[in-house]
Amino acid sequence: MTLPASRLSDDDLRARMKQFHWWHSMALRPGVTTFGGKPELLLAQEEQAFLGPFDLTGRSVIDIGAWNGFFSFAAKRRGAGRVLATDSYTWNHSAFRGREAFELARDELGLDVEGLELDPTEIDEKVGLFDVVLFIGVFYHLYDPIDALQRLRGITRQLLLVETHQDLMENPNPGMVFYPGDILNHDATNWWGPNPALMLHLLLQLGFTRVFYRDHPTLGRARGTYAAFTPEVEAGLIQQLGPPWLDLDVPGAVEALLARG
Amino acid sequence: MSEAELLQAVEAHRWLQSLRLRPNLVTSGVVPEARLVAEESALLDPLNLTGAHVLEVGAANGFFSLAARRRGAARVVATDHLAWTLPGADAQSATQWAAHALDLEVETLALDPRGLSADFGSFHVVLATAFFEQLFNPIQALRGLRSVTNRVLVLETLQNELADVRPMMTAQSRIMPFGGADGSWISGWAPNPPLMLQLLRDLGFNRVLYRNHPTLGAARGIYAALLPEAPDGLLAGFEAPWINMTSPPAG
Repeated sequence: MTLPASRLSDDDLRARMKQFHWWHSMALRPGVTTFGGKPELLLAQEEQAFLGPFDLTGRSVIDIGAWNGFFSFAAKRRGAGRVLATDSYTWNHSAFRGREAFELARDELGLDVEGLELDPTEIDEKVGLFDVVLFIGVFYHLYDPIDALQRLRGITRQLLLVETHQDLMENPNPGMVFYPGDILNHDATNWWGPNPALMLHLLLQLGFTRVFYRDHPTLGRARGTYAAFTPEVEAGLIQQLGPPWLDLDVPGAVEALLARG
Repeated sequence: MSEAELLQAVEAHRWLQSLRLRPNLVTSGVVPEARLVAEESALLDPLNLTGAHVLEVGAANGFFSLAARRRGAARVVATDHLAWTLPGADAQSATQWAAHALDLEVETLALDPRGLSADFGSFHVVLATAFFEQLFNPIQALRGLRSVTNRVLVLETLQNELADVRPMMTAQSRIMPFGGADGSWISGWAPNPPLMLQLLRDLGFNRVLYRNHPTLGAARGIYAALLPEAPDGLLAGFEAPWINMTSPPAG
């Protein structure tokens, strides 16, 4: 379902866009694109990498840390049923004004995507169950990401998709590095860098039964994406999980990943 | 309680710690008495517990809670979670029998430290041993401990990645000797000292002291974290091998 298109003129739309700090660069109209920190091309590559393997048709999706909503919109365009975009930090940030930016983009794109202010540390069963949970670029921004993963398990019906900064890549043992202050990229909101062995460990401990992994499409091993499936996953959700996706929950998979470099 | 009843109770329980209940009666615990005695000295000798309120988290069979009571603590609450609540676990009952046999008043409560909050109360000394290695989420549990500490947190834990200066922790699952007949798989963590320092400082402890385990060396570490409200005089008890990780004190 699409919503009625915005009645703003191109100039008025550009003026509204300038009121916000954008992270996602999105074409809202032909010739009118938000000027976000992440370029359109990179986002297109990430969308294909993160969502391409899955058939979202009719499935419910929640996007945790949606910011300007790019991946929520992408899920909707890919046929998802109910899509709920959530955020807290960037939506309440006085400079980012992420929720207003999200709503402007949503209204302009005419996509039926709900918005809910929700901090990952407060997620519980009251938010409901979703076939697909998107947790893109959030894990390492949380002081207690273990708690957040545990909460997300409780709302995942089929698939939790986690994309994160990584560290400790030379170590085959599960572990994560802590970043005090702003030592990671001069950003005081960066807290942890897990390695693939740890992500596998945490996801299996939380009751996900299958875990697949792939490097970031342009940044390589510095960032990883994990597709963690519950025992209730429907076969139809997965369209294609071939290379570069790696089945991580089989003996020797982490070691093979590290050896591959 | 007759000696026969005591013997029957000792034999009826699976003991995690070796407790001397009579001059010639020591429970056959997984952890030997000599190690526990050395740990008691390392953990408690620096502190004057006279009149103190003490909370122990992860008490197992209460060896250190009983020791705190012997050392003059006014109130001691011994708690444990997995070792007291997993199906088949009988360690809380064993603790109660031990306290009864030794005629030491120790309260016992099955408790998940992740759920601790200020509503639970306030303790001069909070003691937690074998901490990170038995917790899926030690970050949350540390917050719980902080919420009930009003002077000193003493924490003992498995450690890893000691050669790395970056703060970090590693995860592992291992069999612990409680729960079912063959024990239980427990998922936990092993931090390194730089991480412990950061986490404790982030919780508001402004003086953090450290020493290696008295018998196992750096494989296990002991931390004493003091809140700003704790008087400097408390530091006097922390002689070598203790080192002050926050010297000069953090702001």
